[in-house]
Amino acid sequence: MQATLSRRAFVSYATRRKLVPYAYVAPAMALFALLMLYPMIAVFRYSLMDGAIIKRNPTFVGFANYVANFENPVFWQAVGQTLYFTSLSVIFHLAIGMGFALLLNSPLVNPTLRSLLRTLYVLPWLFTAVIIAIIWRLLLDPEGVINAILMALHVVGHKVEWFSSTTTALDALTFVNVWAGYPLYMVSLLAGLQGVPKELYEAAGIDGANAIEKFRFITVPQLTPIIISIALLDFIWTMQVFPLVWTITGGGPIYSTEVMSTYTYKQAFADYDFSMASSSAICILLMSLSATYFYVKHQKAQ
Amino acid sequence: MSLKRSLTYLSAVATVLALCTGAAIADTTLEFAQWWEPEMPAGALRGIMNDFEAANPGIKVKLISGPYSATHDQIVAGAASGTLSDVVGLDGAWVNGLAKQGAIAPLDPLMDAAKYDRSQIADIIKVDGKSYMFPLASFVYPVFINLDLAKAAGVDRLPSTRNEFADAAKKMTHPDKNQYGWVLPLSLQTPNGIQNDVMSWVWASGGSMLKDGKPDLENPGVVGALEFVKSLNDAGVISPGIDATKEQDKVEQFVNGRVGMMIDSLAHINLIRKRNPNLHFGISALPAVEGYAGKRGLPYASWGIGISANSKHKEEAWKLVAYLMSPEVNGKLVSLANAFPGNVNAKPDFSKSDPLFAEAFKIFQAGKLANEFVGLPVAEQLMREMDVEVQKMLAGQETPQQVVANTQKEWLADFAK
Amino acid sequence: MTKRSRLKSLAPTALTYLGLAVGLVYAGFPILWMLFASLKSNTEIFELPPRLLPRHFTLEAYFTIFADPIKVRFFVNSYLVSGVVTLLTVLIAILSAYAFSRYSFRFKALLNVFVISTQTVPPITLLIPYFGMVVAFRIFDTYYALILTYMVFTLPYAILLMTGYLNTLPKELDEAVLVDGGSSWTALWRVLVPISIPGIVATAVYTFLLAWNEFLFALTLTKSMEMRTVPIGIELLMGQHAYEWNQMMAMSVLGSLPLLVLFLLAQRYFLAGMTAGSVKA
Repeated sequence: MQATLSRRAFVSYATRRKLVPYAYVAPAMALFALLMLYPMIAVFRYSLMDGAIIKRNPTFVGFANYVANFENPVFWQAVGQTLYFTSLSVIFHLAIGMGFALLLNSPLVNPTLRSLLRTLYVLPWLFTAVIIAIIWRLLLDPEGVINAILMALHVVGHKVEWFSSTTTALDALTFVNVWAGYPLYMVSLLAGLQGVPKELYEAAGIDGANAIEKFRFITVPQLTPIIISIALLDFIWTMQVFPLVWTITGGGPIYSTEVMSTYTYKQAFADYDFSMASSSAICILLMSLSATYFYVKHQKAQ
Repeated sequence: MSLKRSLTYLSAVATVLALCTGAAIADTTLEFAQWWEPEMPAGALRGIMNDFEAANPGIKVKLISGPYSATHDQIVAGAASGTLSDVVGLDGAWVNGLAKQGAIAPLDPLMDAAKYDRSQIADIIKVDGKSYMFPLASFVYPVFINLDLAKAAGVDRLPSTRNEFADAAKKMTHPDKNQYGWVLPLSLQTPNGIQNDVMSWVWASGGSMLKDGKPDLENPGVVGALEFVKSLNDAGVISPGIDATKEQDKVEQFVNGRVGMMIDSLAHINLIRKRNPNLHFGISALPAVEGYAGKRGLPYASWGIGISANSKHKEEAWKLVAYLMSPEVNGKLVSLANAFPGNVNAKPDFSKSDPLFAEAFKIFQAGKLANEFVGLPVAEQLMREMDVEVQKMLAGQETPQQVVANTQKEWLADFAK
Repeated sequence: MTKRSRLKSLAPTALTYLGLAVGLVYAGFPILWMLFASLKSNTEIFELPPRLLPRHFTLEAYFTIFADPIKVRFFVNSYLVSGVVTLLTVLIAILSAYAFSRYSFRFKALLNVFVISTQTVPPITLLIPYFGMVVAFRIFDTYYALILTYMVFTLPYAILLMTGYLNTLPKELDEAVLVDGGSSWTALWRVLVPISIPGIVATAVYTFLLAWNEFLFALTLTKSMEMRTVPIGIELLMGQHAYEWNQMMAMSVLGSLPLLVLFLLAQRYFLAGMTAGSVKA
């Protein structure tokens, strides 16, 4: 745009014009540089030391902390479970968010009711993780309401120990995270649905397309950009979920719900090993950065 | 030009921010971080601080109070960045790490300077030969028994041996009525259950998990206790959801008559009475193995007190510590907190306390305090590692022998760090 | 035949309402349960078999909260911090979004990637370095510590949302101002901002929610009771040995009410803002 700019010595209008965008982004970038870049460098430095913070004179140990992590089977279990937890969460967030968005967008629903339901469905979004954890721990207690209902309906035959059995804990945790996180999708997709031109559906109707075909060939393609952006961001965010997992299970029973964030936290706050914790943190960072790579690629493709 | 104006605004904002951040704290103020204020009657700790301020003009105390787990995180983070409060409440499990990190100060020089009589302190927690923590108040963990459930089950006397305990637990268990004999909290978030509800069985019978300060888990005392816990689990007398149960859940289950027995802190007597005034319950020392005649080990937790290494007011801080440890004040504090004193000369007045407390004091005097986790390096990590192994045992993946062998290996590695 | 076709046309409506009802139970039951738990005594919450409705209604938990100035202070703190964070985030996001939407400059792509990558930094990683920085800046245990650090987490998505929204507005609007000799500053604030209300509302609501519910930094970067926010207030009710269950529930009910009102009032704008933000981000 400004390529034909002449390089005059004095501060020309054109040069000033060239500097303008930098000035606009400066506040945000200054903040990021101060509060992101610097701490990241600090964390990376800790991760290469032995006993950072704790020892008076920590020594440089290169990648020894990373190697120690990689040699720990629990680390790999945590990586696997983080990916499982994150992928399932993203898929169900999307499915439930889409379901609710479609229902709320249906012309068959009375508008007042719709606006009310829209607010009610958004409710899980409004609560802090600690309280979500507490509610669900009570609801899914072996003696809790959910078991009572399921047993009354004969869905399960005994009191399921949702959070204290290695076979169900991770899925139960994922269920809670799905519940806590679908509203962002619902809201975004609902917004997206309202932006899909009506004419497309009308035209398809004339061509004899049924509801499923309309969904498959109009709705989904129209919403794809939203779905991809939100899903990728959600992937990054879910990978870092901490208070929810920590308050509900603390990573147990037997490592079955250990995720990267709880693994890191324990190294820092129970083991006081900030160097190991930093190296694990850098691993989470690299994992989510790979998701960013796809995000950027997608944005570029647009 | 307008851009310039915007930049001016921004720099103005930055200046205001910078100015406001300079707000300083008066320099004779001592910060005292602990988790006790919320656990004591409202205003009780503040009242003691006011008395201290009156007795020591020129020193003010600012209480930094939070819940137990948050206080822990804050102390760790504070230690890492040098923002630890002058006087800190400590759990025995934290001392070693904080001392090695140089976050808390050795108390010996301060005691020497004040010519302090050390013999009046019930127990001084040391790391590498230096004194770091005084337990200010100790909370003993006896067995609590729901007397109504016991009576209905035909249990007519408080269990004194493991067999009697197992027998009573079996009789009180009625899964169809959501009623179980015992509750065992093994949540990994706070793995204290290993200390209070598992290893306590070892200590009660005079056993030990250490030898010369090093892990020594592969002994019959520890294996026997684990076998006992396993047998209770196999008999189905433990309330379900063990691996997700926290200490707080344990108390609620007992209060609501869902479990017949629990091992719990004496500090809870008031809470239980408040939550369920109609509950009839008794306490007894932790059952020991058949034929054990020695002193009963009593698991305990304490409110420890120490001084930050970074404190600029160590002398004043010491004054506060000495004040709280003095016989009179210590006695008053523990009577308010329903605890046992850290000063051997303190004469707590339990006359206004629950009648069960007099009984507890007898148990306390007949037994001996036992908590081998106090002062160990990364104690929380040790408990967590053992917790995982015990969970494996309860899931049928490991035998008690394997539990001790694996835990021993992990602990040795932790100790070697 | 008419009966069948009527059935056929009724079926989608019935299914839709059935779906909505199932959704309502899914989304609302846990919250309804929480609401009723806040009206029970601590003991009743644990009674078996579990009941939804309290046997004895009691507002005790709410009274206890309102009677305690410190607990009221938690709410004040949360409003203050979230409010200021929202204001500053929106302001800075508008500026950045304007540059990203209207200019092409050399490091644009790079900065864009940078903004997104900041999302990938796990907050837990930053805890220890932040602690040190906040102490060095002498803002430990102040509002500034929370405001400054929260903005790092609210800004990236806020910039994305705002950029997306500005992208939907025709360039001719602000170019007209420039052609008339106005500055880009005027174009932004006089022309674009007034018609960007939906985008701004969406950004603000999102930011406010995030700041209101933040837990980890609120826990570690403040320490005195006077600086605590609502999520920490809830945590404070978990003692070492016992929870004040009903007060925790009551506090989160009270905490969510303003958000609910905010969402109800803003939902029309919010949806419009989200659309643009997500499609064209």
